[in-house]
Amino acid sequence: MMQTEKVLHLKSSRGGKVRVVREHYVREQVECGSWLCEAGCVSDGKLLSGDVTHYVVPDAGVVRDFLEVLEFRELQGIVFTQTACQAAHHARGRRHYNRLRALLKDPRHDCILFANEFQQYSYCPREKGETQEKWHTRCVYHAAVWYYNHLAGLRPVVMITEDEDAIKEYGSQNSGTFSNFLLEYLESFWPDLQAARELYASIAQALQERESEGAEKEYTEHLPAEVLEAGIKSGRYIQGTLSVNKHRAQHEAFVRFEGSSNKNTELNSDILISGGKHRNRAIHGDVVAVELLPHSEWKGRTTALTEGQGEERAGEDTQSQPMPTGRVVGIVQRNWRDYVVTFPPREELKSQSRNSQKILVIPWDYRIPKIRISTQQAEALQDHRVIVRVDSWDSTSLYPNGHTVRVLGKAGELEAEIQTILVENCIHVPPFSEAQLREMPVNSKEQPWQMGPAEVSSRRDLRDTHLVFSIDPLGCEDVDDTLSVCTLPGGKRLELGVHIADVTHFVKEGSLTDLEARSRATTYYLADRRYDMLPAVLSADLCSLLGGVDRYAMSVLWELDVETLALCNVWYGRTLIRSSYQLHYELAQSLLNGEEVEVPELSQLKSSDKSQKLAELLQALETLTRVARLLRAQRDKVGALELEGVEVRAQLDKDKNIAALVPKQPLEVHETVAECMIYANHWVARKIQESFPHQALLRHHPPPRQEFFNQLIDSAKSRGFMIDTRSNKALAESLDWAVDPQDALVNKLLRMMATQAMSNALYFSTGACPEEQYYHYGLALDRYTHFTSPIRRYADIIVHRLLMAAIQSEKDEYLHKTLASNKELDELAQHINNKNRAAQHAQKQSTELFQCLYFRDKDPLMDERCVADAIIYAIRANGMLVFLPRYGMKGAVYLKNRDSQVISVGDDGKCKWQVGTLQRYPDRISTFTAIGTHTFHLFDHVTVRISVEPSRCHADSMHLELISNKPHRAARAESHPAGHGQSELVQEVVRREEKASLQAEEQKARRPKLSREEREFRQSKTPNLYSLLQEISELALLDLSVYTNDSCQRSLLKC
Amino acid sequence: MAGLELLSDQGYRLDGRRAAELRKVQARMGVFAQADGSAYIEQGNTRALAVVYGPHEVRGSRSKTLHDRAVINCQYSMATFSTAERKRRPHGDRKSSEMSLHLKQTFEAAVLTQLYPRSQIDIYVKILQSDGGNYSACVNAATLALVDAGIPMRDYVCACTAGFVEDTPLADLCHAEESGGGTTLALALLPRSENIALVQMDARLHQDHLDALMEAAMMACKGLSKVLDSVVRQHLQEVSVLTRE
Repeated sequence: MMQTEKVLHLKSSRGGKVRVVREHYVREQVECGSWLCEAGCVSDGKLLSGDVTHYVVPDAGVVRDFLEVLEFRELQGIVFTQTACQAAHHARGRRHYNRLRALLKDPRHDCILFANEFQQYSYCPREKGETQEKWHTRCVYHAAVWYYNHLAGLRPVVMITEDEDAIKEYGSQNSGTFSNFLLEYLESFWPDLQAARELYASIAQALQERESEGAEKEYTEHLPAEVLEAGIKSGRYIQGTLSVNKHRAQHEAFVRFEGSSNKNTELNSDILISGGKHRNRAIHGDVVAVELLPHSEWKGRTTALTEGQGEERAGEDTQSQPMPTGRVVGIVQRNWRDYVVTFPPREELKSQSRNSQKILVIPWDYRIPKIRISTQQAEALQDHRVIVRVDSWDSTSLYPNGHTVRVLGKAGELEAEIQTILVENCIHVPPFSEAQLREMPVNSKEQPWQMGPAEVSSRRDLRDTHLVFSIDPLGCEDVDDTLSVCTLPGGKRLELGVHIADVTHFVKEGSLTDLEARSRATTYYLADRRYDMLPAVLSADLCSLLGGVDRYAMSVLWELDVETLALCNVWYGRTLIRSSYQLHYELAQSLLNGEEVEVPELSQLKSSDKSQKLAELLQALETLTRVARLLRAQRDKVGALELEGVEVRAQLDKDKNIAALVPKQPLEVHETVAECMIYANHWVARKIQESFPHQALLRHHPPPRQEFFNQLIDSAKSRGFMIDTRSNKALAESLDWAVDPQDALVNKLLRMMATQAMSNALYFSTGACPEEQYYHYGLALDRYTHFTSPIRRYADIIVHRLLMAAIQSEKDEYLHKTLASNKELDELAQHINNKNRAAQHAQKQSTELFQCLYFRDKDPLMDERCVADAIIYAIRANGMLVFLPRYGMKGAVYLKNRDSQVISVGDDGKCKWQVGTLQRYPDRISTFTAIGTHTFHLFDHVTVRISVEPSRCHADSMHLELISNKPHRAARAESHPAGHGQSELVQEVVRREEKASLQAEEQKARRPKLSREEREFRQSKTPNLYSLLQEISELALLDLSVYTNDSCQRSLLKC
Repeated sequence: MAGLELLSDQGYRLDGRRAAELRKVQARMGVFAQADGSAYIEQGNTRALAVVYGPHEVRGSRSKTLHDRAVINCQYSMATFSTAERKRRPHGDRKSSEMSLHLKQTFEAAVLTQLYPRSQIDIYVKILQSDGGNYSACVNAATLALVDAGIPMRDYVCACTAGFVEDTPLADLCHAEESGGGTTLALALLPRSENIALVQMDARLHQDHLDALMEAAMMACKGLSKVLDSVVRQHLQEVSVLTRE
């Protein structure tokens, strides 16, 4: 048998002081995980690279407290010892440990785990009377020595510790193995890594502060985990996710309980947590355990609109029905992330910082409490946006403790604000690393990319047989879908084809690009830029199905009957295509309408050829339209919903609310293309679900809860429409009926409300859901997935792989790679869902940001553009919510101000503030003043004035003021086509920002130039380390004497 | 919600073993002179003592007598000092009676009882120290004791446990692993014929995984049988040296 030796471990587990004896086996062969190893260690995992000057071994204390510093990718050759990892696990809990594990698994980080305690010669038993810390440090040091000897002294090994005694003791015990403080280590080995040192300083200070803390209790203690678990099981406590009301962050929070584990049937709503004491240190997003309060203490939720931010009156006046109210007794799972905060200005600083350097900073997100950090840079950082991490929140402290991580920039600057939005949504998009780009195929002028002969022979060649074309928005770079349609020989059958870019050919599973794409999960579209999921060489070139070049594709081909269009046959597979035409929507529509337009691909040809080709193309387009109409009709019959605009149907995950509502010119060809894509998605979903019943990635849209439709039904009733929400078919039909002939916007708003009432469509793994839940409510399809946009969605890449595996397994059974298991796939689906949600939020927030920037410099009283028409879509206790069609904005209008004055309307329609009262009805709101009574109904048009309410710590917000109860009819509004409002707005802000940066360029050295380059590469000007170092090195090359260290400092601060 | 990581990412278990490795086994036969057969076994930190009396006349009520084969009587007990917290009742509680019954069933399948009609064989097992896998330690100890007593059997009975953690079957669980919340399967095997004497599993397991788990448990039992065999041979050698003198 194997050579094992037994060593005894003494352990006393808590609660009863039991002596537990555990076995411990050690062995000689423990893989070291280094590339340099000559001893023949077998290792299948990742290896430490050999091209580093030394290896570094952090001790237990460093891993426990300073893991974040070690997370810098620039630090290479880190050997985590098992001792340190387990000590960290023990001291900081599972979350910390999982983070460490993720780090170890990530192939982009050069670090490995060495199981030192299982190595016969590096293991050292604890001596009598030795403290645990000392023992850990000794273990780690022994491991470091062993590691050095194991590699035959090829690389020196440095142990980093925060323990002074250890350095004294081990400092010069062995040659080749050194020990050092973390800070000294960073300074001497990584002098360029300023950010790491700053992070170190901030963590160290936070630690110090925590030690010297008082002991007044502000909150009740949390219950221990065992008690919570038992309580949740018995139904005494309720487990759920805490979500804080954004508008009354200090007073109201709700707990949404999960699953059906709850036996309390009387609870069918969320649980209200009122006030900070009851919330008991839980932060938005945490999973908490809640105990219900007695019925007598239940409260209602507030229905009034809050005026402005910051002033939250705990007014008892306007509360709804009492609802279940509870208090947090314990926290099951902390879900802290990085928060963006703003440092207070100097005046506030002075009053705050009488004692020590503790500063209360205000998070950007309203829902997060103020965070106490200790730093010496407060002066320099005032009015900056800074990333902060929360360390702890003791019951003795009113606010959580945290430390600073990175500075984003000055509040109010476009870049800083965009970065803020990204961080707040947990979106991490560094530029693609060199290692990733090295994986990419090359396609340059000198070295054009060519198809491999093996690929050519194994794929079905459609280049000469099929007329393939793409229809996309104008100026689109990443063409991931093309179409073809033709009549098969014999004339009885029609062949419809959808050809999708074959991304999986270039992105191999497990490659660095794949991992990066997986962690991004989607391409992020912000108002003025986008962050690609795949490097540009793929997304805009090799994968993109551009016109006139040979490309790989994944195709779905249907054979349809010419007359009835009934389905006869489906074929899936890899193909070669050459797109003949790269059309855009407007062009395609004009062709269909029979207008005389120039097709760019045909402009070179002679007129005879040209007309023939044009006829061919036209024929194809017309057939396509006919097919799409029929497909659409089929789906309509079973209840597909038309929810405001193409976006909602085709890509529910993107800009659902605002952009979709901008009245754009809906072309039939939009629908045609979307319909073909839905068809392809549907058939691929069927295929992979059949082949892999337990591990296919599909997308479902759960039916909405009926009570969410109440607002829609009530609103519609006020205009005399009946909305039937019992099924998707009934809803679709009744929405079609609810059209006001005078006002097309009414129908739009109703559809918008219907959309809001629905839950989001989600990805899932088929093994994780019963079959009846596969249904897609919005599209009325029993199976659906995403297949058609692999360039910008990671889910499509997975589906492509699944489809390929399905095809392969049909051909030959044994050629079957192991697929992701149901569990893994389900986790991945959750991850993609989360990222999609984040992308959606980021996009919405960036749009709002641009709106605010647009209106910021306009004088609301003078500028005509600040006055706009608005339509009322909801009534609240002290005001109403309105929608501004011109800017695609939603907002609140107050009818009552702080001095309890209300709006009164004069004879000419002008509004004034007057003393009076307010009366609210379900479908209208009335003001009573000395002048008279005025009533605002739902769906009335009013005129509002837009101004920006600046906010230092949070995002600026829009303020709407009622100026007239008549619809606004500006002379210009007609002439300038609505719908461009949004993009025009973005352009103007970008223009202005660029102008400002140009001016800055004249004053300061070369910075903006770099950023322009970056914009060219479609990457952000993230103040990342790479660009910083790059910049510094460039500066150094230019003139050493001029650009001294000083300028580096300045540019560092600037970021 | 167990906080322990039963199988690390590198494939090590809590005590440093890999998934398929057994704990260290040490055994001795013939520890007591008075009894007909006796054996002592250590599987890691689990220690068990087995004593065999018989075959002899059926004691107590005659009604239990079987006319075609021998009755096997098993008694399982745990020493009061065998666990971390002192046990009140060394035997006779529900768990012990169940274990006794299991042992009886196991050995009825293995001992050639038809050779001794109207007689009785007593097997007494005591756990001296418990660290997971009590049943298997008992079976293995009793096997050695039966061999020591010279009672004919079809084959060694080797028992071992196996568990299932993160899609990997683990062989020979220790106490921490057993209480870690996974599935545990106990298997008693006649290794040469691969006949199963007893298999027991209380927790839920997906049927797809059962084969893998059984396979792991079988491998572990076969490994154990080699160890037991070498113990018996060594004992035989020692005894024969003594008798020759």
